[in-house]
Amino acid sequence: MRFFQRGKKGRPSQPAVTKPSGTQDALAVNMNDNLQKIQNIYRDCIDVIFRSFKIGGHTSAVLIYINGLANMEEMNENVLRPLMEKNSDSRQGASPTEQLNATSLLEQQLTVAKVNKVQTIGECVQYIAAGSPVLLIDGQSEGFALGLSEWEKRPIEEPIAESVIRGPREGFIESLETNLSLLRRRIRSPLLKTKSVTLGKYIKTQVVICYMEGITPEAFVTEAEKRLQRIELDGVLESGYIEELIEDHPYSPFPQVLNTERPDVAIANLLEGRIVIMQDGSPFVLVMPVSFYSLIQSSEDYYQRALISALIRWLRYLFLLISLLLPSAYIAILTFHQEMIPTTLLLTVAASRERIPFPALVEALIMEVVFEALREAGVRLPKQTGAAVSIVGALVIGQAAVQAGLVSAPMIMIVALTGIASFTIPRFTAGIALRMLRFPMMFLAGSLGLLGIMLGLLLILIHMASLRSLGVPYLNAHVPNMEHQAKDVLTRTPWWKLNARPRINERRRNNRQS
Amino acid sequence: MENEKITSVQMMMLLYPAITATAILLVPGVTAQHAQQDMWLSPIWASLIGFLTVHITVQLYRLYPKKTPIEYSVDIAGPFFGKFIGLLLLFFYFHVTAIIIREYGEFVVGNFLFRTPIDFVMGAMVFVCAVAVRSGIAVLGRLAQILVPVVILLLTIIVILVFPDIELENMFPMFENGLLPSIMGAATPQSWFSECFLMAFLLPHVIDENHGRRWGNIAVVSIMLTLFFTNLATLFVFGNITASFVYPVISVVRYISIADFLEHVEVVVMALWVVGVFLKISVFYYALVTGLARWLNLSQYEPLVFSVGLLLCLLSNWSANDLVELTHFLGTTGSFYLSFVQTVIPLFLLLVAKWRNRAASPQPAVSHQERK
Repeated sequence: MRFFQRGKKGRPSQPAVTKPSGTQDALAVNMNDNLQKIQNIYRDCIDVIFRSFKIGGHTSAVLIYINGLANMEEMNENVLRPLMEKNSDSRQGASPTEQLNATSLLEQQLTVAKVNKVQTIGECVQYIAAGSPVLLIDGQSEGFALGLSEWEKRPIEEPIAESVIRGPREGFIESLETNLSLLRRRIRSPLLKTKSVTLGKYIKTQVVICYMEGITPEAFVTEAEKRLQRIELDGVLESGYIEELIEDHPYSPFPQVLNTERPDVAIANLLEGRIVIMQDGSPFVLVMPVSFYSLIQSSEDYYQRALISALIRWLRYLFLLISLLLPSAYIAILTFHQEMIPTTLLLTVAASRERIPFPALVEALIMEVVFEALREAGVRLPKQTGAAVSIVGALVIGQAAVQAGLVSAPMIMIVALTGIASFTIPRFTAGIALRMLRFPMMFLAGSLGLLGIMLGLLLILIHMASLRSLGVPYLNAHVPNMEHQAKDVLTRTPWWKLNARPRINERRRNNRQS
Repeated sequence: MENEKITSVQMMMLLYPAITATAILLVPGVTAQHAQQDMWLSPIWASLIGFLTVHITVQLYRLYPKKTPIEYSVDIAGPFFGKFIGLLLLFFYFHVTAIIIREYGEFVVGNFLFRTPIDFVMGAMVFVCAVAVRSGIAVLGRLAQILVPVVILLLTIIVILVFPDIELENMFPMFENGLLPSIMGAATPQSWFSECFLMAFLLPHVIDENHGRRWGNIAVVSIMLTLFFTNLATLFVFGNITASFVYPVISVVRYISIADFLEHVEVVVMALWVVGVFLKISVFYYALVTGLARWLNLSQYEPLVFSVGLLLCLLSNWSANDLVELTHFLGTTGSFYLSFVQTVIPLFLLLVAKWRNRAASPQPAVSHQERK
């Protein structure tokens, strides 16, 4: 893990000055001392509420919570009401001066399901920040964190980026708890383990590593934990941050981590022995380790009937090659190997290229760049303006450019076909890698013809063969597991024949495990 | 470089292109010169050298496990002569790798990229191979496992596509002058089969090394079958004029014309053939660089890769003046040069090792490993 060491070197070790002082202090018996410390930490925070009251009318207590992160109704009904009632049954006969027993209070009066005891100021702050109201009582050296956090969140919707014709329609949302419950609801086995890691010194983002005990190799979990714990960031807004920080080869065009919004994809990967990393605040969960093949497969491949899926897979492989190679093959053939084209076709192409002022390479480059720009423009525009982009693209750049004699009609077709081809790759990240590599391939084709394309392909393959995801070779489904390769990569064998789990950890080399 | 592992299947898939890739270029023409219509038989005779070489290599490896020829030659012949034999092997592989690169360059420049300078064509290939060699044997093994099936598929398709043009009578009269012409024709292919000795450099990285002999032999058989079928195909198409072609297989591919559309596929064939040559050069290059690192007692071979690559480019430029000279060399002296270094020297090493082992046998407790 050279990358992390390098990253660490560049970052000066942070002194603890920004940390609120005294967070490690244990809670004092005197409530006012504690209150003061917490108030000092949360000074100038109007959304932090300190609600003082007296338990049973004599012992003073305070409830601290963040406005909007706690369920008010339940707090009123289950915490404040039973505690503030003067003659509750449990305290009958007790003298006001008698030491209030925290345990009995917890057992008899707090009608809240989830309660954690807190011992230090730091813990208090942690729970308050996470939305749990904290109850401090005078005369007690421990407080209670009440699990009443609740905030607004998006309902579970169908993921837009990964739509399917057949398959579950629910997707992950931004709330970690909901996402975990989506997994638990499907995997009822206690073997689904969820380990929590808190990221960074300041942000304290909760990240959860999910894995199936007994299926997932232990080494994956420890390695992922190790990599996560090395992260020091000010803020993690998306799991993309984590992905970039824990992948094995940050400078590779190929993604080594799969991201998905679909619980069914996450579960399928868990059952195949991979780990799933979830981050609070992002609907995208990360799956590691992945092979290249799982990036060009769709979850639907397994939901449709086997024969259809196998055919669609072949179609996808074909278009994968087209999206990478078609423009460069066109350039190579037009520039170096005209004899490959049948005569009649050659005449047609030559006639359409007669008026074009550019060589094939330049023409292809211009059109490919324009196409990429059009697509980028289309992605982030509001829907109403999006239509304008397609009009501009289709009419101006397509029709008019050909009529003006700037580009040839076959070139437009090549670019369009390449564009379609790159949409057939189900994973955006994998598709984008091929889109990127298309450009160097075009230069190679322009300089060495088909030989250049082959050399470029070989370089890409060498690179892919030396890639690793979480220490597992990237082309692993293929090699060394020949049986799995034939069954689940080259085709899609029916489920009743797909017995073996992919043995992803076989013959691992350990020296990448830092 | 010690931790990298491949499987014995991957070793076979590295050996297969390491021999066939160039064997299907010049060799059929040279074979046809001697064997005429019996040229299909020659690869079978030639494969005997392959089996012998595999046997010698595996026997030597059994005596000296986890060691390459560079190391066990020292154990067998003593520090001075051993190092000398190692140096001989290294210079040999230097020379042979350069010749292969030149063969590839001549082929590409002579058939497809007529106006591209040969140095550029060769340099680009050496660069790609250098990147692969630097990535290690495991990556090479994985590449071979992906690419070799594609190459085999391609060869099969070619043989099927020439079916309309074959004339079976080209095979006759069979054995017109007895078996001798076909054995003479085997003289050149046998030198290619002696390249099985490359196994010696791969075996220390093979996990299931006890399967090494089996997969080595499977490699020889599959190479033999490949040459058998390509020779047969060229013979069926061209008959007795095969000998007048420099690259008979490519000329056969030029013949392919199906439905007026599938024509001039030789460029595609060349492009996929490049894959085979890439693997071939990479295996030789790997043997050379790791051998050199071992000879110099270096712990890593990676720093040597690019500098050796540069030398390879130069040497390939010097190895012959032109294609005619190259073909002549490979058809005459070259045959015996290759098999002398890769079969006879190892045989000699094996005999000495056996003899020394027998000399040491009165004390059976002392094994050859401890004895070193």
